[in-house]
Amino acid sequence: MNVVVGVVANAASGRDIRRLTTGASVFDNTEKGSMVARLMAGLGAAGVARVLMMPAGGGLAGTLLRRLETRRDEGPLPELELLDWRPTETPRDTLRAVAELRERGVAAIAVLGGDGTHRIVARGCGDTPLLALSTGTNNAFPELREATVAGLALGLVATGRGGPGAMRREKVLEVSLNGTVCDLALVDAAASSQRFIGARALWHAGDISELVVAFASPSAVGLSSIAGLLDPVGRHGPDGLHVRLCDPASPSATVRLAVPLAPGLVTEVGVEWYRRLRPGEIAQLAPGAGVIALDGERELELAPHDQVSIRLAAGPLTIDVDRVMLHAAQSGSLRSTVG
Amino acid sequence: MTVTAELTQEQLLRGYRTMRTIREFEERLHIEIANAQIPGFVHLYAGEEAVAAGVCASLADTDWVSSTHRGHGHAIAKGCDVKGMMAEIYGRATGLCKGKGGSMHIADFRVGMLGANGIVGGGPPLVCGVGLASKVRGDGTVGVAFLGDGASNQGTFLESLNLSAIWKLPVVFVVENNGYGEATGQAYHQSVADTAKRADGFGLPGITVDGNDFFAVAEAAAEAIARARDGHGPTLLECKTTRFFGHFEGDTQTYRDLSEVTEARASRDCLVSFRARVTRAGLIDAGVLDAMDAEIRQLIDESVVEALAAPFPDASQLTTDVYIKY
Repeated sequence: MNVVVGVVANAASGRDIRRLTTGASVFDNTEKGSMVARLMAGLGAAGVARVLMMPAGGGLAGTLLRRLETRRDEGPLPELELLDWRPTETPRDTLRAVAELRERGVAAIAVLGGDGTHRIVARGCGDTPLLALSTGTNNAFPELREATVAGLALGLVATGRGGPGAMRREKVLEVSLNGTVCDLALVDAAASSQRFIGARALWHAGDISELVVAFASPSAVGLSSIAGLLDPVGRHGPDGLHVRLCDPASPSATVRLAVPLAPGLVTEVGVEWYRRLRPGEIAQLAPGAGVIALDGERELELAPHDQVSIRLAAGPLTIDVDRVMLHAAQSGSLRSTVG
Repeated sequence: MTVTAELTQEQLLRGYRTMRTIREFEERLHIEIANAQIPGFVHLYAGEEAVAAGVCASLADTDWVSSTHRGHGHAIAKGCDVKGMMAEIYGRATGLCKGKGGSMHIADFRVGMLGANGIVGGGPPLVCGVGLASKVRGDGTVGVAFLGDGASNQGTFLESLNLSAIWKLPVVFVVENNGYGEATGQAYHQSVADTAKRADGFGLPGITVDGNDFFAVAEAAAEAIARARDGHGPTLLECKTTRFFGHFEGDTQTYRDLSEVTEARASRDCLVSFRARVTRAGLIDAGVLDAMDAEIRQLIDESVVEALAAPFPDASQLTTDVYIKY
């Protein structure tokens, strides 16, 4: 059995303006390289033969290769092949890598990055299952997990031993500009009165007028925490939530709420109203110039006449690591015979 | 402490005017240099305009900047007189430094321009001095050091990071990372992809933004400058950008594939992107920008004509304004 899995690791720095304004922590490229090496240890133990990986700059690939070269004999490792092109260090790299990995028939794709990287992967991955791993503390979609265990789980799924419920169907928010689908978000889409994408991150609570979330946990950090503290919507439940925000001091505020809007930043927001969004339902955002932020980053600059609508739709498949490992324990797929 | 990132109409117009003036100035010099009437080396800033314009959008005349060998953009953005600059580059007595400095020493203390600087990495220590003076006087002045990715390897810069961090000086270090230290690609001259990472070892925040995007630079710089002014200490702001011309005028650029420049001019030109975005957002009418373009072209024409007509400094002035007595 020659099982191949893909790896997309985003070498982008994460050195964005949040480092100035709040205290978000991110993994650097050295840690990301080490994570891929540990992921590969798990994959090798689960019998994966080959890893195809997106080319990565910024010292990430260098760290990984050094780790693999200096590794002592600690069990089988899959063969590593880096896709053979020069990265542009833009989101185009991720889209290109995902298309190529699918074309090469990988069983699943491990994604190491933040909400932003996963959002781009989700645009192109179709039904190829994703292992969503977080590389920072400010993410809602990918999970912060030890890569070795995640690699084992991914390997078990890729070799057909994931068991029932190994994969979950995620939701996405499909964003349309003037009636044409133009992008998607995995966690939240927000309208802000800022006029330009600028330094990308969105952290001024006062500028945010509307929020749509695919899921929201009351223990989340970031924009989705607003929805999570109002009316939690389960990640794998059917609904989303649409929230209209306002100045907490304004008379139209029906709820005032303290929320962890970013790591290191707890702030008060005002809520005018909120309502559940059903699967397939479309949320029409109030017209007006500004920007749309997707999963916390400003992505779309609007002209005054632009109309934005958001539909709650079916998203990619992700691997449920806990479920897979529980199945491994129960089925004994990682046991060998004693004596 | 957080500033409102919204740029005013006046800041937007000023930003465009600054970037367009720098571009016209540099494109014109690129042509004029062939006439062999300009003494000394000239390093052009075209392509990197969004950095100088975006940073200086949040500075007042009373704030100070230190510059580099590639200093025309910083001088224009900080408010130096364009005609005085052109005359200076031509070595004429009407120049900002009376024709004795040339391209690499343009300075004007009246607008807070400490000077272009031929010493790579020479600016950061000067700006630490600005920061210390500001702290002692308590006048809220901020110092900004512009430097390149090459200069970010100099001891002067690393020592300045340390000094400014321990003394919490009101300064901002702006690394204009154009991917080359002279003719050496960044991957060959430093072991980190983001120069901003240098900040980690000194305990100050380091952030990276798209240096071809006026809005990204302006917003991050506004935040860093406000932070400095409010007494929260220094920031390292890295702006990734592209220079359209060689390291110096006459550089044959055999070290880079020139499709890099063609591609940058086609897809990452700060002026093209600025115009498209403000007009689409309905904030500025294209006609206003067209009129500004024509006005600036005329200003640059006049600056060359007037520089060429101006006298050279008299030989009797050889040592005046050159040395200072303490």
